[in-house]
Amino acid sequence: MTASVDDSPVQVAPRHRLGRWTRPALGLLLPLALAVLWELAVRLGLSNGRLVPPPSVIFTTFSDLWQTGELQAHALTTLWRVAAGFAGGVAAGTVLGALAGYSGLLHRLVDPTLQALRSIPSIAWVPLFILWFGIFEASKIILIAVGVFFPVYLGVMGAVISVDRKIVEVGRVFRLSAFGMIRRILLPAVLPAYVIALRAGLGLGWMFVVAAEFLGASQGLGFLLVDGQQLGKPAQIVAAIVAFAILGKLTDWLIVAATTPLLRWQDVYGAEHQDS
Amino acid sequence: MLDIYHVGKTYPNGVRALDGVSLTVNLGEIVVVVGGSGCGKSTLLRLVCGLDAPTDGSIRLDGTLIRAPHEKIGIVFQEPRLLPWLSVARNVGFGLEDRPRPERASRVAAQLARVGLTDKAQVWPRELSGGQAQRVALSRALVTRPEVLLLDEPFSALDAFTRVDLQDHLLDLWADQRPTLLVVTHDVDEAIVLGDRILVMRARPGRVAEEIVIDLPRPRDRQSAAFDFAKRRVLNALDHSLNRGARTGEAETVLDEGAARWW
Repeated sequence: MTASVDDSPVQVAPRHRLGRWTRPALGLLLPLALAVLWELAVRLGLSNGRLVPPPSVIFTTFSDLWQTGELQAHALTTLWRVAAGFAGGVAAGTVLGALAGYSGLLHRLVDPTLQALRSIPSIAWVPLFILWFGIFEASKIILIAVGVFFPVYLGVMGAVISVDRKIVEVGRVFRLSAFGMIRRILLPAVLPAYVIALRAGLGLGWMFVVAAEFLGASQGLGFLLVDGQQLGKPAQIVAAIVAFAILGKLTDWLIVAATTPLLRWQDVYGAEHQDS
Repeated sequence: MLDIYHVGKTYPNGVRALDGVSLTVNLGEIVVVVGGSGCGKSTLLRLVCGLDAPTDGSIRLDGTLIRAPHEKIGIVFQEPRLLPWLSVARNVGFGLEDRPRPERASRVAAQLARVGLTDKAQVWPRELSGGQAQRVALSRALVTRPEVLLLDEPFSALDAFTRVDLQDHLLDLWADQRPTLLVVTHDVDEAIVLGDRILVMRARPGRVAEEIVIDLPRPRDRQSAAFDFAKRRVLNALDHSLNRGARTGEAETVLDEGAARWW
């Protein structure tokens, strides 16, 4: 890929440059157009914008919340909950997923139970978690961890089971120990699927933090949502949603950025998209 | 010395893949196994390299019973089976992990130079051509200096030109360290170019049907009359092993690439 670009820079470069700027711009076109149209509609008096505030009002609310430091405080609380729940869910999902993938016996022992538990909508646990762990941080973090656990568990287990037998045989021919097999063959082989599982888990983590914060929180972005609803401040709700979007995207990007250097070897269709 | 003694293999599903195969391969000898599909020739290699265990009989290397992979036995598969997340150099050095880093680096470098891939050392396997990838696989197996190298249809996935190239290259590498080679192939030309001895196997259950000694001097001229003659003997033996009548046609029919490889 790099070679072909180096070989013929004159032919490839112009198309490349065009692509670099037009592609993101195309994606922005629709939301920007909608925002501008709505702003105009409110300015021209076609709507009062009370229930659906125009972009300018949202921006003002956002920066007001930021300047008072409220937004940062709420965001940090939420971020901490997601981080703690994510860490717990990933740790449990990785260990159990790896074991259930590695050992047929453990798979038969553990997997049916976990699959049954998975079919319970995780929110249904909330009353029980509150009874067990109280209404403060513990129950929230555990709910998030449960949400993160299942995609990670499934991803890791599936990846370990589907590691290419032929590659494993290479490890056997070189007489790797069980530990060596895990470190030098299985781990690198499952890494691409693991990254996808982590991202799916993180997405669910953000979903469940909202659910957790709906249920009796006095801090956090989810609380801002409920507060905005109860006090009739739609701009605050949208500002909190925007904050969620930014944080969600940012943390997802962090995972991608941290793992991309480890996955450069992949010979996949997607690699061409990521390079450009 | 590799000693295969009355080896049989029955798979759990009841298929008898090998039955009473005996074979002694001396150090530095090249033995080629040919046969129709399902004659157990790949099974034999898997047993010798310890990936599977025989159900009866024994395989010994210099007296040591082989039941699991052994450090003195290397294998090259039909596919390169390189680890895609390691650079070419680290793939080649995969079996040298227990050696100190400088030794590993110098042996890998020397091996890559030997197969003419020094400039590919830091490249990912995905960027190699089929022939280059198989040369890396060959290097990975040879760099640990095995006493026995097993090759399971190593060049069958390559185009005809690359295949001939790599056959010559393999003989070149063999001349360096003179390991014992046990090669499985379905390509009769390849068998005659490489082998000191050719074992023709027959199927159901897999057993050795005939042994043909090729005493042509190396390097062997693929165009010579002696080569053709040897080829006809092998093809006849194969026909026998497949319960077909002996080949009666002219040398031309035998030489035809399609006829020689059609099974």
